[in-house]
Amino acid sequence: MPSSTGLPNRVIPVLALAAFVLVWLLNLGVVQPNRIVAGTGYGLFDATGWFGAGTVSSLLLVVVVLATKPIRNRFWVLSFLLTAALMSLPLLLEVFALRKLPADSAYARIGIGAGFWCLAFFLALMLLETLSQLKASRRVQLSVVLLVAAGWWLCAAREGLSSLSLIREYANRADQFSQALTVHLSLSLGAVAISAVLAFGLALAMVRRERLRRPLLGLVSFMQTIPSLALFGLLIAPLGALSAAFPALQALGIRGIGWAPALLALIAYSLLPMVRNTYVALMEVPEAVVDAGRGMGMSERQVFLQVKLPVALPVIIEGVRITTIQAIGLTAVAALIGAGGFGTFIFQGLGQAAMDLVLLGALPTVCLALAADAILSALKFQETPR
Amino acid sequence: MRLWLTPVIWIASLCALTALLPAMAPLFSWVEGGTDNLIYTRDSFYTLLQSHIWLVLASATMGTLVAVSAGIFVTRPAGRDFMPLVSQIASIGQTVPPVAVLALAVPAMGFGEKPTLFALVLYGLLPILRNTLAGLGGINPAVLDSAKGMGMSSVQVLFKVELPLAGRVILAGIRTSVTINIATAAIGSTIGARTLGDPVIAGLVNGNTAYVLQGAILIGFLALATDSLFEALERAWARVFSARAHKA
Repeated sequence: MPSSTGLPNRVIPVLALAAFVLVWLLNLGVVQPNRIVAGTGYGLFDATGWFGAGTVSSLLLVVVVLATKPIRNRFWVLSFLLTAALMSLPLLLEVFALRKLPADSAYARIGIGAGFWCLAFFLALMLLETLSQLKASRRVQLSVVLLVAAGWWLCAAREGLSSLSLIREYANRADQFSQALTVHLSLSLGAVAISAVLAFGLALAMVRRERLRRPLLGLVSFMQTIPSLALFGLLIAPLGALSAAFPALQALGIRGIGWAPALLALIAYSLLPMVRNTYVALMEVPEAVVDAGRGMGMSERQVFLQVKLPVALPVIIEGVRITTIQAIGLTAVAALIGAGGFGTFIFQGLGQAAMDLVLLGALPTVCLALAADAILSALKFQETPR
Repeated sequence: MRLWLTPVIWIASLCALTALLPAMAPLFSWVEGGTDNLIYTRDSFYTLLQSHIWLVLASATMGTLVAVSAGIFVTRPAGRDFMPLVSQIASIGQTVPPVAVLALAVPAMGFGEKPTLFALVLYGLLPILRNTLAGLGGINPAVLDSAKGMGMSSVQVLFKVELPLAGRVILAGIRTSVTINIATAAIGSTIGARTLGDPVIAGLVNGNTAYVLQGAILIGFLALATDSLFEALERAWARVFSARAHKA
């Protein structure tokens, strides 16, 4: 049992108060006559009536009471309550659609307002605080995230939310969406895989020849300093010239714009975290462990494969984690040079001032990054020798 | 002052390039043959550079103020309850790609400089916050005890012991934040901020590689000049501080 179980928690009431103020002040949702026009906003009470406003307010009140009173197992109750609230949050929008969506217009749709996002954000923060008070294990944390995701998924699939602008944008582009997912994943994971191989070689070279360390690390950190848009831009001219000079390259699809410069730039960016972590990991294997391996009669090759590599693995995986998150974000930027992926939706949406198309690109990008973080952190944790 | 030589060279070449790029039309005709529009003229490069630097400087100042005060608050007895949550926000927040933050600022605040600045401040304060926590948390408790034993008040301990000791780590956080923000501000062109990203975006839309190159070169030089400036700053900080430690 955590030591602070009996004491009143001060963090959750502050968060609950902030959520309460924001959800009453800001618009919960927007009714738009079509996909471009801004539409009219509705606050919590106008949007969902006594029922919705009462549920939200009393939920926040109960949370504050639970957090401050010395009730047994209150953090477990809180975590159940907050998980359930987050899972069913989209139902608020369904109530809103039921009450305010004009039935006679085929183009009318509802948009998500800032109040809804703030409520979701603060509920998530309260859940985070509750889980850390419980010292919840990784498995519990993961199941909470999966439950919330499943809840939102089920809500999104319901008929009641089919008028949600975000879902309409998706329904219009279901094919493009799965294509964007494929392109996004293959570009970022491809870059990570290629740079992992390159970085491993470079790190090994640095371990063997100390002289190489400074120039190599200098070079990769130089590349990391150049902003993404600039690097993408700088690659256009040379690759364009190459492709014009060699028709064979053009047949492969290598041109000044498209996947080729994107992949090259992504690899260049991935090298620094990968090389640095691999090098540090290999150098920091304790000498005593290596000696023990040698003492057991292992050859140098065996020492490397069976002793050094397993000990270094968690730090190497940490490098892969940083690189993957970074590559997923940069692939979104690469859409500007025609590489595809979720960035296409973001920049198309910005160009057309269609905000829900922007969301359709930005939200999956964020989800991919968070998922990569969760998976690779779990892997690192599993590989850490105990 | 050999320390400052490298940043001065970088900054001088950035200024020279900004002034001379318009005169380099013949050079760019080599890349982009078929057109007369060889030099980006919608805004002068100087205006774009100025506005880019202003965005990054303003966001770095605000981000540093917010992040350092938040970091100080959660390491005091009064705010210690908030420590676990704030450090988790700092690390989970950095998982979110900066482009996504930029894009999500538009539905909330519309187009222009304002959402760009908002996104830059919000995203930029995370690395500073993380390093402030690491810097203040990494101080040997014995040092703090001896400072208190010398009769220093908690405010004196903060300003004379904790912040100088954590300063180099905080400065490294500001460097990371500024590096990210120079890149993100360039992408801010797509949401209507006036930055050095403008020529790149205009060039990509119109298929004019000369524009793309001009923007990209200036952004690259700005990033490298800033980075070398921070390198010198970090060394200067270490030098000043170790000199003071020797005297004491």
